[in-house]
Amino acid sequence: MDMAARQETVTVARAASRSPGRSLLPDRWLPYGMIGPAVFVAFAIAIVPLCYAFWLSLQEWYMLRQPQPKWGGLINYRALLQDTQLWASFGRTWIWTLGTVFVELLLAMPIALLLNRETAIARTASALILLPWVTPFIVLGFGWRFLLDSDVGPIHSFLHLIGIAGDSSVLNDPVLAFATIIFISGWKGTPFLVIALLAALKSIPDELYEAAEVDGAGAWSRFWHITVPSIQNTVVTVGLVLGILAFYSFDLPWIMTKGGPQDATTIVGIAMYKAVFLDLRPAYAAAISIVMLVLLFAASMFALRARRID
Amino acid sequence: MRRTSPLREAGLDAVTLVVLFLLLVPILWVFVASVRPETDITGGGLWPQRLTFVHYEAILAKKPFLIALKNSLIVGIVVAIITTALALPAAYALSRFRFHGRDFFGLLILGTQMLPSLAVLVPLVVIVRQLGLTNTLTALIFTHLALGMPIAVWMLKGYIDAIPKELEEAAMIDGCSRVGALTRIVIPLIRPAIIAVGTFAFVLSWGEYLMALALISKADVKTLPLALQGLFDPYSFSWGQVMAGGTIIALPAILLFLIFRKQLVGGLLAGGVKG
Repeated sequence: MDMAARQETVTVARAASRSPGRSLLPDRWLPYGMIGPAVFVAFAIAIVPLCYAFWLSLQEWYMLRQPQPKWGGLINYRALLQDTQLWASFGRTWIWTLGTVFVELLLAMPIALLLNRETAIARTASALILLPWVTPFIVLGFGWRFLLDSDVGPIHSFLHLIGIAGDSSVLNDPVLAFATIIFISGWKGTPFLVIALLAALKSIPDELYEAAEVDGAGAWSRFWHITVPSIQNTVVTVGLVLGILAFYSFDLPWIMTKGGPQDATTIVGIAMYKAVFLDLRPAYAAAISIVMLVLLFAASMFALRARRID
Repeated sequence: MRRTSPLREAGLDAVTLVVLFLLLVPILWVFVASVRPETDITGGGLWPQRLTFVHYEAILAKKPFLIALKNSLIVGIVVAIITTALALPAAYALSRFRFHGRDFFGLLILGTQMLPSLAVLVPLVVIVRQLGLTNTLTALIFTHLALGMPIAVWMLKGYIDAIPKELEEAAMIDGCSRVGALTRIVIPLIRPAIIAVGTFAFVLSWGEYLMALALISKADVKTLPLALQGLFDPYSFSWGQVMAGGTIIALPAILLFLIFRKQLVGGLLAGGVKG
């Protein structure tokens, strides 16, 4: 109603001035009215929770002993520093994050080069390749549990055949389970990187390659001196986005192994979830999420700076 | 395209097909298992011989699964509508007006996209609990708005940027109001993008797991991902049924995404993305 009324004035003002200019008074408030609701949602879903998490992390709140939150200062951070299990899960998370991005780069690079052609098959393939990316984690998680199941899983049979898996599923072995789920995490993220690389590859002018060819550069040297520099920026930015997503993973390891066996796949996202829902320590979990944010920020800055020096 | 020999292209096409098959085979296997009889899944070799839909019949006869299907549809559709309704005017304002705080608001919305759900999980769960909204679809819908809204704003802004301003100005000289110009000129021109954005919001909400897991524990408000988890009865569960449930969740997401791929891929790359 308010909008409609405001609009009336706009119309009247416009009719009076007969000018298409954009300096009329009511127009000054219209953009705020239009962007307001979206900004409100962004505030309510991002800014408010982040500030609240910080406040929460300074409370003493342990549902079993201290059912109402009370001011605790740095109590959670002090506990956190001594929590060796948590630091172990932070360590796993770095391996997980770097491993995931590594698998993504390893798979996406050759695939993008393969798809950077004008044939019908290459075009269809660059559409279908998105499937792992758009399929929800819950389906992929159960799908892979099925594939790796020691009774019915076809991939388990294959791994058994080539001697990687014993009689029980790789998901029951701490080291293999972690490696397997890192691979699956990378597999799921690969399409995104492929599409980004493909866009970067397509924007390299053909003339560059032609000129290099005339100058007698071989295929390898053309790749190294033309392709690599042109896609470097894409690799770093998208790699960083994928790294952030991997750092904040929860769904895949939770659905597949619930953080087990023996905590082997308990990355920090899972540790945080357990702190709220199993240990009933929301304030402690909030402190974990603040520490995650700080560490991630530091690592991103480090990655970006390393790139600049490079 | 540079000169290439047809033989070489054919060879690379063959490699492409093999690579694509290897990448997609885990997902294909889920679909295949969902239409195989249970005895074939457990001991029938790799190649499917018999086709059956008993698994789909079985899970669609399960009350909790049907309730979850209904809940997921409600949440997804409401999220799609609200996302579009919020994103369209915001995108228009960012594209057409110069106002104080424009860059700040734009970055704020885009920044929400880069923030993973897990980063705000704990405070959101506590806030929702204190508001007494645990186990309600309302709370779930609200948190799901964060999934698609930022990208929706930035995609729609791109499309509106591409429409010449003169079209609206002409309409306004003819007596159309600002909002009239938006509804009569801009919206019809970017209708495909609007539908794509709504679809995208629906798909993201449809498969969302973490927030649902954290906010919902009662059977009558569970969504499909939680219901699928519920099919995993440790004593008697059927792989066929779990895979059929997985297919029901995956298929709409995959189909809708492929249909709107052209509109979505550009926006995905522009805005970063939430997995």
